[in-house]
Amino acid sequence: MAAGVAAWLPFARAAAIGWMPVASAPMPAPPRDKRRTQDGLIILNVSGTKFQTWRNTLERYPDTLLGSTERDFFFNEETNEYFFDRDPDIFRHILNFYRTGKLHYPRHECISAYDEELSFFGIIPEIIGDCCYEEYKDRRRENAERLQDDADTENNNDGVLPDMTLRQTMWRAFENPHTSTLALVFYYVTGFFIAVSVIANVVETVPCGTSPGRVKDLPCGERYALAFFCLDTACVMIFTIEYLLRLIAAPSRYKFVRSVMSIIDVVAIMPYYIGLVMTDNEDVSGAFVTLRVFRVFRIFKFSRHSQGLRILGYTLKSCASELGFLLFSLTMAIIIFATVMFYAEKGSTASKFTSIPAAFWYTIVTMTTLGYGDMVPKTIAGKIFGSICSLSGVLVIALPVPVIVSNFSRIYHQNQRADKRKAQKASKEAGQALVSKTSSSFERQHHHLLHCLEKTTNHEFVDEQTYEMSCMEVSTVNQSGSRSSSISSQHGLTATCCSRRNKKTFRLPNSNMSGSRPGSVQELSTIQIRERPPLSNSRSSLNAKIEDTAQLNCDQPYVTAAIISIPTPPVTTPEEDTSQSPDYSQSNIVKVSAL
Amino acid sequence: MRNISCSHSKGNKMNSKYNSVEDELEMATVRHRPEGLEQLEAQTQFTKKELQILYRGFKNECPSGIVNEETFKEIYSQFFPQGDASTYAHYLFNAFDTDHNGSVSFQDFVMGLSILLRGSIQEKLNWAFNLYDINKDGYITKEEMLDIMKAIYDMMGKYTYPVLKEETPKQHVEIFFQKMDKNKDGVVTIDEFIDCCQKEKNISKSMRHNMNCRGITNDSR
Repeated sequence: MAAGVAAWLPFARAAAIGWMPVASAPMPAPPRDKRRTQDGLIILNVSGTKFQTWRNTLERYPDTLLGSTERDFFFNEETNEYFFDRDPDIFRHILNFYRTGKLHYPRHECISAYDEELSFFGIIPEIIGDCCYEEYKDRRRENAERLQDDADTENNNDGVLPDMTLRQTMWRAFENPHTSTLALVFYYVTGFFIAVSVIANVVETVPCGTSPGRVKDLPCGERYALAFFCLDTACVMIFTIEYLLRLIAAPSRYKFVRSVMSIIDVVAIMPYYIGLVMTDNEDVSGAFVTLRVFRVFRIFKFSRHSQGLRILGYTLKSCASELGFLLFSLTMAIIIFATVMFYAEKGSTASKFTSIPAAFWYTIVTMTTLGYGDMVPKTIAGKIFGSICSLSGVLVIALPVPVIVSNFSRIYHQNQRADKRKAQKASKEAGQALVSKTSSSFERQHHHLLHCLEKTTNHEFVDEQTYEMSCMEVSTVNQSGSRSSSISSQHGLTATCCSRRNKKTFRLPNSNMSGSRPGSVQELSTIQIRERPPLSNSRSSLNAKIEDTAQLNCDQPYVTAAIISIPTPPVTTPEEDTSQSPDYSQSNIVKVSAL
Repeated sequence: MRNISCSHSKGNKMNSKYNSVEDELEMATVRHRPEGLEQLEAQTQFTKKELQILYRGFKNECPSGIVNEETFKEIYSQFFPQGDASTYAHYLFNAFDTDHNGSVSFQDFVMGLSILLRGSIQEKLNWAFNLYDINKDGYITKEEMLDIMKAIYDMMGKYTYPVLKEETPKQHVEIFFQKMDKNKDGVVTIDEFIDCCQKEKNISKSMRHNMNCRGITNDSR
């Protein structure tokens, strides 16, 4: 609630006199207000700029410097004012916060200076108003990143700290090759060998001229098999050594083993070792050959060497859902057109469109405007649909490409901003929860007002959950259903009455039991507890199963119920019940029968 | 009440929703300044200091110096987040707007508050009767009472325990009429009302002690 509306609360409370002649129950006693000091002007001298305000304005937030007795430390007796040796421009915003209840962040101010002032005056930044909160958080994040970058470059430029273990030195050398010459050498050597390995994989498939006695060209891999094998062995040995060294040096081995780069490393060297194991076995050599394909993953090892590749990988990951959707819609289009083409070409003789999956190939080739020409429609219907297919292909495929490209940057930034806002919201709510506790007097009086309304109408405010449960209870009672339904409703009631009873017996100030409606209703129920202990017995007698709930709306000043049947005590109780509650229910039943 | 013409005012309109015909009227009455402090002090039971504090709060919320019904409904609804307080706020507004000009000025506001906080039981009951008597004809009929009762129950909202039923306001009205309507003629007059409330211990006790806000002036800034 806005701080400004607080000024109208006394009016609303006074107007509650209007309820009294019609109230069904006497009004609750008003909350005792602690004696307030006399209001008066306070002079705040901030580095020469004089601010004046009422004492009560400052005392609205007793958790801050100005609202508490902490300001007495700054009182200057000679001049009869409070002197602060701080920035007056920023102080203006802080004082406005007391006046209006909203803290604003001035865009032209430096974020760290502003933060310092806030922490000096004991104001938490989470209560910055919505208008300025995003800007504030953005600036803060940028500042933090700048500081982090500074720290990083400092770290990197540092010489080796004398007390770093060998393991830490090694890890640092692996992660930041520029730290030492040895690391740099290692970095370039591994890069070189990755390149050599990839090139060797490529070259060994090139036909290399014939050897005597053969007709066909041999690929180089088979001609110079030994040379390539030695090269491969050397590369794999280097990669294995590198992987093992990284594993040893990693600060958290478990995390390292799970990381993407380590998986790529493993996949890169595994085929070699598997090949060593399964040599010269004709059956599995086919599978073995397939394994060699995985050697091409060595090229991904370059991403350790290239920042750009890493960023690209991350962007693809964050756009995965968009890409997925695009693929899905393309698949739909392909299936539609393939089906149509298949049925259109079914009639023609010697048609290449032997099945719908066979037509997939035609559809893809046509839609991407490749047009190989290995499959062409011969019937007129086929040609018509074929042209529609290629035209729509232009639209379906060509259009999303620039959209995806721009999506990349937009989604990337949007994702960042959405996560940012979520995190901001969480911390904001935490901060606001803190602040709302401080305006306790206002809350107390507000709750007293709501309490008066409850008394007037003889109904209580409850939250959604309990309301729904009581609705269920009414409906099951009215149906006078079978035993099972009555048991289930009893259980439901048990949950209701136990949760409500819990609220009453435990008297938790922040009851999280029925947490669907936080805030004022929760606090309201706790205020009820504090102010109405004598009534709680009769009130909870209502929680017992009632035959006819319509009789609740009755005429007597106190809420009682004409209980016709007394339920058996609930067999199962929810876990939050303590041993106290069964006794409670027993006493309820006794009391009820006395009515 | 001095109405400042637009040549003196700073030209702030209260809200820009009015169409052009009403604009001219609005321009002429855009600022209200209350009577002097001495006159208000004489007319109400508040001291000068209390009036100052009340006015500061009032002016902060309504810089133009008057509250119209929309703003009033908004402000009042904020205190009853679970229900719909607009109907009751409407009746309350009419009770405060004693000269029935569609807006509550500071004078109306402070005179109403003076009765509610500092008035005698008789005056308070009088005010309550005035609230219930919607058409201000001196009689509370069952229909008027039903309207008021429905408005009060609306403020409770949907989520109540026990569950609100359709007949609840009606039943409440029946009880009220049984108690108040002594000669059973179907309406409650002011004398019947005051008589009955003074006799009823609950009500007179509540009125005497409950909202006795010594703290009214200490609550606001």
